[in-house]
Amino acid sequence: MEETAKKEELGELVEQQQWWRVAEKTRSKRLSYLRKAVWKKGALGGVYTPGLKICLELPRLFTEAWRKNEDVPIMLRKARALANVWENIPIFITDQAQLVGYLGSAPHTMVWHWQAASMINEEIYNETGIIPEPEKESLRLMAELNDYWGGKTSLDLFTKVVDPEDGVKFMSGAIGWGTPSSAVTYATRDFNFIFKGFEAINDQIGRELEKTEEMTQGTPSPEIIPYYEKFHKWEAMQIVLEAAIAYAGRYARLARIIADNFESDPKRREELLRIAETCERVPARPPRNLQESLQFDLFVNILNRYEAGEFAWPSRPDYTHGSFYDRDVKAGVNKRLTENEALDLVGEFMIRAYDIGMFAPRWTREGLQGIVGTWVWTIGGVDEDGNDACNAMTVALMKAARLVRVANPTLSFRWHPRVKDEVFREVFECIRHGLGYPNIRNDTVLIENGMYWHGHPIKEMRTWVNQACMSPCPTTKYGCQPFRMASCTANTAKMVEYALSNGYDRVVNMQMGPKTGDSRKFKDFEELFAAWVKQMEWIMNILIRTVALGRVKDPEFYSRPMLSACYERAVETGTDAVDPSNGERGNTWITWFTWVENVDSLAAVKKLVFDEKKYTMDQLITALEANWDGDEEMRLDFVRNAPKWGNDDDYVDSIMVRCLKEIARHSWEIKGPEGKPFPPLPENVSGNIHYANIVGALPNGRRLGDALYDGGVSPGPGLDRKGPTAVLKSVGKIDHITQGRAFLLNQRLSPIQLAGDKGYNLWKSYMRTWDDLGNDHVQFNMVDDSTLRAAQKDPEKYSEVIVRVAGYSAHFVDISRKTQDNIIQRTVQGLG
Amino acid sequence: MRCVECNYEAPVNKFRYLYNARIDDSISMRQCPKCMAWLIVDEFSGEVKQKAESGESPWGKSSGL
Repeated sequence: MEETAKKEELGELVEQQQWWRVAEKTRSKRLSYLRKAVWKKGALGGVYTPGLKICLELPRLFTEAWRKNEDVPIMLRKARALANVWENIPIFITDQAQLVGYLGSAPHTMVWHWQAASMINEEIYNETGIIPEPEKESLRLMAELNDYWGGKTSLDLFTKVVDPEDGVKFMSGAIGWGTPSSAVTYATRDFNFIFKGFEAINDQIGRELEKTEEMTQGTPSPEIIPYYEKFHKWEAMQIVLEAAIAYAGRYARLARIIADNFESDPKRREELLRIAETCERVPARPPRNLQESLQFDLFVNILNRYEAGEFAWPSRPDYTHGSFYDRDVKAGVNKRLTENEALDLVGEFMIRAYDIGMFAPRWTREGLQGIVGTWVWTIGGVDEDGNDACNAMTVALMKAARLVRVANPTLSFRWHPRVKDEVFREVFECIRHGLGYPNIRNDTVLIENGMYWHGHPIKEMRTWVNQACMSPCPTTKYGCQPFRMASCTANTAKMVEYALSNGYDRVVNMQMGPKTGDSRKFKDFEELFAAWVKQMEWIMNILIRTVALGRVKDPEFYSRPMLSACYERAVETGTDAVDPSNGERGNTWITWFTWVENVDSLAAVKKLVFDEKKYTMDQLITALEANWDGDEEMRLDFVRNAPKWGNDDDYVDSIMVRCLKEIARHSWEIKGPEGKPFPPLPENVSGNIHYANIVGALPNGRRLGDALYDGGVSPGPGLDRKGPTAVLKSVGKIDHITQGRAFLLNQRLSPIQLAGDKGYNLWKSYMRTWDDLGNDHVQFNMVDDSTLRAAQKDPEKYSEVIVRVAGYSAHFVDISRKTQDNIIQRTVQGLG
Repeated sequence: MRCVECNYEAPVNKFRYLYNARIDDSISMRQCPKCMAWLIVDEFSGEVKQKAESGESPWGKSSGL
């Protein structure tokens, strides 16, 4: 009777599409407990959850050892400081958990990377609500730390070497976003190498040290000189590897202490002993089963975040852990887990990732509302030989995602023509359940893309993962990229703004770009376009100059012993993983925020000013300078009667392609420190909201203050009037291999229209068109307006509603009102 | 323009422009400098239509379906 009532209730919830409640009713008790036993670490809009505190133990322990080692080279000094942290930071095991490790000293803490920038340290000191109790004592410690680190942080050191004009323009906040340092970074990893185990890597380093010692004690020659620099780097790597093993050992001991002395439930006691065995095994030696494999991965990710502000989590968990999943779950002598038990582990792995918290300054929080960083996990795709790589773990991850419903990590599915229907159906179910993920990536296109831009061999490129939200990077010895170069994010709407304002920025009141002429006197579209090209080149150049310098100086200013110990090429060569000279092929790109405004604005000026001569340039510039105030009729003319991107209209689509060709040309002219080009990658995260008050009025009809368009190549909200196929056709006119690294496309679909098998078939037809047109990315929101408006009115009742913001997902109630409105404004496309 | 919340009256540009409801419509959100209320404004007529509340229609109305 009770069972029938439960089924009926579940049926009703499914019909009402209340997927978050469906998840609560269907997941295991363990997953329910663990899902609720975590603190939300992403900022709500721009503000942290009440009760969440900064972890002061980490900077205190680090600085204590750092100060004692002033006389040693930086990597060694940092390794000793990290070892002091891992040996002493308080640890805990969450009840019912099977995976352990935490970034911080208590579950309600998030770490602060004090080595990044003094300006961030000052911001933390003045941030209300996040200082641990007793506040007075904490503030005294923070003041001491800030005084010590003032002038010594990575960015402080960087400002001493960067060109002052570049530095001022970059720090204006108008054109770039990020910090050129490992303090704010994304690094890909090669788990084929890491899973050898830290003992084996340590042994390999020992052999390298012996060889080098022989060399430096032999016949003098110029060739031996660089080897003296390697000793301390290898020694540093050995220190962190040993400290990492010891850190895991502390968890093993804690688990045994609880099991032997405090746990009365025999089942939980057994679990604790398994945790102890797991932590005694990994990361020291190779994993043998799913729990060990996931635990190893988790330790590596946590330890690297103690070392650096890794704000992305590039990984391919089905590829890394799939064989262990199969071995544990499939019938046979090695079977250890039922499918549900494995699902518990996979779900917990996602929860542990969601649990990681790192302080971010306010501008970052605005650009990544609701999450800590972009934990975009890549699944599906092909293996190194081109065969379908989807496995049981691929499906388990998608099932677990629907049960735990975390907004971070999200999944990114590498689609290819040989994906089995039952796997693709799981992708659809996740989207239909309103998760906003997986996003869909075109494997064939992106493999070719990486080969084209960075010369990766096909076998290596087939291992690709999203390095952050979007950029495909191989996870191989020479394919891995250790440094995101976060400042390489361009606020591209400034290109057209500066082309119209002679390079002067009216928001920050500064001459930013080159003087490309008074646009009131432009005689034709070609003059405007030539000015735009110059502004585009200038923005790319200044950002990449900054980034390249930061990259080269990073081993000297920041240093990454842990990451280096995880990089085969760094271990072999005795270099910092971030050192661009150790053989890296690179995965460089420039994230292209606020892009489509350029295209719609150029098209509007071409049409209404130069072709139809309805307005003069003088009238237009006057209206823009007044933020369109008093010119509402003219503004609406520029919105409604100028062609807009996303409607399969060659007038404006050809401008998009022309702009991208110019950018691609210049991308090849630019060379990073590893000698590779910097192609564009249009996407926005929530930078379209962050830049709303920084980008001035534009000819596409926006005012200063309005949200910019939401996606990399998504049409303006409400401006794609010709239906979903027209959007795909416009996007399909871009060459997704030669004109950029990737192109983010947001689409909203109706959850009612896409219900059931019929909905799945409609969606599959849409996806076939998407592939036929050679598009590389698409992602969906499938939550209706009424739910979203209800969530605005009654956020507590809808706290688990998830939406796709841009390259990531977030709980709807965690993003600002403005971002919420921007998502509701997006066009809901009807398929069929 | 008059604020519907506190009756403060001033030219429209004295009310801080926040953002639009939709780029292709003349409805926008402005803030009263006196009581800080968020107001839905018709930019054509310069009139306050109503005070903006969470989840309010027509604010955030989707196009398409």
